[in-house]
Amino acid sequence: MSQLDILLLVLRVAFGAFVPLCFIAVLVWMERRGAAFFQDRSGPNRANILGFRAGGLVQNLADAVKLITKEDVIPDHVKHKFYFVLAPVIVFFIALVSFAAIPFADALVINGKEYIMQAIPTDLGILWFLALAGFSVYGIILAGWSSHNKYGILGGLRAAAQVISYEIPMGLAIISLLIVYGTVSLTEMAQLQGQLLFGFIPMWGVVLQPLGAVIFIVAAFAETNRTPFDLAEGESELVAGFHVEYSSMKFGMFFMGEYVALFTSSAIIVTLFFGGFQIPWFATETLVNHARPVTVLMMLLLPVFAKVFAMWISKNNRSHYDRVDDPRVREAQIYIKGLWGLVAAIEIVLFIYLITVSGGVADRILVTILQIITFLVKTTLMCFVYVWVRWTLPRFRYDQLQKLGWQTLLPLSLLNIFVTSAIVVALS
Amino acid sequence: MSGKTKIMERKGKDLYERLYLVEVFKGMAVTFGHFISNFLDNSKLYVRHYPEQKPEITARWRGRHRLTKHEDGTMKCVACFMCQTNCPAKCIMIEAGERVDGRTEKMPVRFDIDLLECIYCGYCVEACPMDAIRMDTGIFSVTGDKRSSFVMTLNDLLATPGAFTEEEYKKGGA
Repeated sequence: MSQLDILLLVLRVAFGAFVPLCFIAVLVWMERRGAAFFQDRSGPNRANILGFRAGGLVQNLADAVKLITKEDVIPDHVKHKFYFVLAPVIVFFIALVSFAAIPFADALVINGKEYIMQAIPTDLGILWFLALAGFSVYGIILAGWSSHNKYGILGGLRAAAQVISYEIPMGLAIISLLIVYGTVSLTEMAQLQGQLLFGFIPMWGVVLQPLGAVIFIVAAFAETNRTPFDLAEGESELVAGFHVEYSSMKFGMFFMGEYVALFTSSAIIVTLFFGGFQIPWFATETLVNHARPVTVLMMLLLPVFAKVFAMWISKNNRSHYDRVDDPRVREAQIYIKGLWGLVAAIEIVLFIYLITVSGGVADRILVTILQIITFLVKTTLMCFVYVWVRWTLPRFRYDQLQKLGWQTLLPLSLLNIFVTSAIVVALS
Repeated sequence: MSGKTKIMERKGKDLYERLYLVEVFKGMAVTFGHFISNFLDNSKLYVRHYPEQKPEITARWRGRHRLTKHEDGTMKCVACFMCQTNCPAKCIMIEAGERVDGRTEKMPVRFDIDLLECIYCGYCVEACPMDAIRMDTGIFSVTGDKRSSFVMTLNDLLATPGAFTEEEYKKGGA
């Protein structure tokens, strides 16, 4: 292994490990402020450091301090303490590891050698995800069982039954997708989605497999135990379901695991159905071949976006009551200065790139960074859809849930496989 | 006698509604409308910025108690024990003594209200024949760092001013 190999290995693994962790903070913030805005409330926006609220992001720090410093109780009636402690670890770890096989950029070619941009450069892709997605529910079942609590065991049982019901439509939806793509490698799937259908529609999975996409997204919601399928938690009937006996950071692990799972399943939905890292109409080779005009375009667009963002900040980051010398206005001015500083720094880097190293390897690295940003933006939007659905739809009743899984999604996904195979055979 | 029966139409039976997805998207459009208008301009939120913006308290609202005084500054309370007897939470503790200002025979030498026991029902106000105890201070937030700080003594109760004019208070139905 050359030094470059080792460097890229470290970078990819670090990306796969730390980006989901960083996104916990962003997602918790998005969930709480998003929920508030959906309900015409304001959400947590008071926590601050030296007056800097960062739009409520500082609240996460307060939450973390609270969770870490709380007393970590293991109730006396818990007989199997090992499993009780193991359960949150499984939930968190599995959610984190299933992100490892998701490509966040197209394969990077340096000196004729191809580096697959996944934390674990494997071709297993979707099989890896399926195997681990089914495994994460073991943590929930184990938590419910080892809590030795009626609510806990009911939550665990519900989670088990739900995952069994929804794993099947999910797997079948993936089969029809595999028929279309003809590969299990997620990088190859995302590469295929860079092509154009009839010359103008991006060939995303959602265009080729609309029914499969709906089934997969519904099943993914059920798999992550999010509303409308959060019967395992069901606070109105089961108090808190499987994590009713957990406190402190052990609860924190469940909490973080839920958000990592949310991020991972958003990432897999984006990769399978919404083009993954592909920028619509700009395939990797197109970008690499036209790196210079793309860079100039970025340098022009960046200040425009920054201007809009700055206007939004100064409009919304102020007190909505009479206040002498409003400190939030001053806070907003500092944010805007920071934003313009960042924009200037990026412009300088891009300018240096243009006049010195453009062409060759640098182009490919630039395109990789662009694709990582695209992937993260798409994933964030998908996470927003999760939040959006959570604060719109009420929870299913248990029989409705099973009926939807077995009587609607299962036949539909089977039908989808037949129709897809027929079309694929007819076209080939 | 035959009553008129109204048969309610059950929704959600036809195919269009049982497809569910269309209705889901309609619902999501509604919530997204709320989100985006609040996101673009957060002054539209239905929020009172509480510690800075106080809620408006009406004269009928039962807040913390106070003891009223005559115009010459002597207290109206005659230590008749009506409020203490009527109190369902048994939070009032009165000790009567001899009156020194010459108005009547009795006055309280001790008048404690334990706010941790009080349920703010207002029966003491209704029971009082002298209009001596009122809950018109407009104080709704009672906080303290030890239990003893929640016991209002005679001097505390006399020192708390009313938040409303006599006219407003009477209009409130007292």
